[in-house]
Amino acid sequence: MASFLLRTRTLSKSPLCIKWCSPSISTTAVRNTEPQIKNDIALLNPEEIEHKKKLQNYITVEGTTDISPITGIPEDYIKERRVRIYEPPKNCMQSGTNNIGNWEMEFDTKERWENPLMGWCSTGDPLSNMKVQFSSKEEAVEYCEKNGWQYFIQESKLDKKFKPKSYGVNFSWNKRTSFN
Amino acid sequence: MASSQSVKRVVKEVKPILSLDREEARQRVLNLYKAWHRQLSYIVKQYDIPKNQEQCRQKLREQFTKYDEIKDIRLIDMLVIKGQMELKEVVNMWKQKGHIMTYFKDTVEPKPQDFLSKFLSGKD
Amino acid sequence: MSLLRQLLHRNVGVRTLNNSVCRNKVRFLTTAAPEVTRETRRKKLIRVDKKEKYPVVSSDECFALLYTFKRTLELRYIQLHPAPGSTVRKSDEVARGQLKDFGKYVAECLPKYVQTVQITAGDEIEILITPEGVLPVLQFLKDHHSAQFSNLIDIAGMDVPSRPYRFEIIYNLLSLRFNSRIRVKTYTDELTPVESCNDIYKAANWYEREIWDMYGVFFSNHPDLRRILTDYGFEGHPFRKDFPLSGYVEVRYDDEKKRVVLEPLELAQEFRRFELSAPWEQFPNFRNAHPAAETVETEEKGKK
Repeated sequence: MASFLLRTRTLSKSPLCIKWCSPSISTTAVRNTEPQIKNDIALLNPEEIEHKKKLQNYITVEGTTDISPITGIPEDYIKERRVRIYEPPKNCMQSGTNNIGNWEMEFDTKERWENPLMGWCSTGDPLSNMKVQFSSKEEAVEYCEKNGWQYFIQESKLDKKFKPKSYGVNFSWNKRTSFN
Repeated sequence: MASSQSVKRVVKEVKPILSLDREEARQRVLNLYKAWHRQLSYIVKQYDIPKNQEQCRQKLREQFTKYDEIKDIRLIDMLVIKGQMELKEVVNMWKQKGHIMTYFKDTVEPKPQDFLSKFLSGKD
Repeated sequence: MSLLRQLLHRNVGVRTLNNSVCRNKVRFLTTAAPEVTRETRRKKLIRVDKKEKYPVVSSDECFALLYTFKRTLELRYIQLHPAPGSTVRKSDEVARGQLKDFGKYVAECLPKYVQTVQITAGDEIEILITPEGVLPVLQFLKDHHSAQFSNLIDIAGMDVPSRPYRFEIIYNLLSLRFNSRIRVKTYTDELTPVESCNDIYKAANWYEREIWDMYGVFFSNHPDLRRILTDYGFEGHPFRKDFPLSGYVEVRYDDEKKRVVLEPLELAQEFRRFELSAPWEQFPNFRNAHPAAETVETEEKGKK
């Protein structure tokens, strides 16, 4: 519909173009075919058209919606599992602190056993390899509530301020150590 | 912890999917249920499943009553849409016998319910 | 070039040796003979040709002019041809300006739907719109005489679980008439339907089915919305960030039942979780680099 409007507007703005364009060449300026009527609207009765119009508006919904029935996650996993929301800690093997400071959620551990043949760690829990990252814990909480998962928040308990240590600090200018 | 997961009473303005009110959504669910119900005898015959019509009817009822707690109209619509798509897959024979039998979960071991069987199986 | 002309006016003989305009050396012939310093000689910026007789200018002046001339040539050369090995593509300033103007124009025409216009990756235009505006904006871009984005190249989806509207729907359009591309982005969540643009672009049919299948975004008024990649009876939407890598069910052939059965997943070896992000900052030089997307100031914004 909008396309038709736009076309007629360009046509009305430039009446000259009809004069020098032969109709066989230009397809946009002159329509040889009948305008198409949309079948799906023409065949509807008045109530259905009214309904279609109303669908463009808004409806009111009460409360937060638990979307778990349409996520496709099996029921057992939603009812029985608990989500831990936590801040991933610094890598204890290295002193760099990049890529931390975000929040993550993961599920509690479940159903692991030793593989009788190979001694591997086997699992019956598909959610054990799922982690979702968030920038704040509020986002994570909202997300869990939306999905109908039980959750708990594990705050990190870091009392002592982290003091970076490195070998090079021993020779810095304010240490006044001789190092020739 | 669990106490913080209180239900907030908020009224939101949202975009509808198919239905404008609860009654309309209910009508859609009933229509879908009837359509499935009418299809059951054909399913039993065409897919050659080792179930009779009564068992299928029970399963159908179970699948619908599973969601009877749902209040949100959009959620109902979404489930109706998915159910409708699945019905189409069944009617057109896009599914196979295995897909139909998945509803019955006849090869899945039932989870231990009481304390002793949970203890013996080592699962909780 | 005006610098070159300026030099010629001063009757300083300047020409490049066999047109060698290289990145780090532009060599000139000049007759600024008597006062060529050791410095300039060492840098081989000025070579003296004693056989040809030209009027003499002071070497300082000549050197300054030559140097600026060389720099302009260099800059232009670098802009057009980045050095071999450089992976950063330089964007064309002219094209960028045109795209910005076009973005402003679209924002002016459809102020109700366009939220932001931005330029990403140097010279790619993006229009961020409200979900209600999918049809009007796409129709505008397709049919407007100076846009004519008549090809829908792709519709992509994106999932960011931390956002309130977690899905992004991204339309990539191509205008063959103007050899130009545009990206239109909108947003939605699990329960909010997006209008299907199948009436505008026939190509959208399968793309929208794919997004429905992979992300679970419902497209209203789609003529044939059903699964396209997953198996019949599959539950869930695999491209969501909260869908596990392994899925929830496994399939095997049961010899007793003589059919394929679906069972809850059991992994003989659990997936290990590797921590792949490095604890060290990788590119400290780019800490204050320009952001990937540059917002174009539209008129609406300017008023506020």
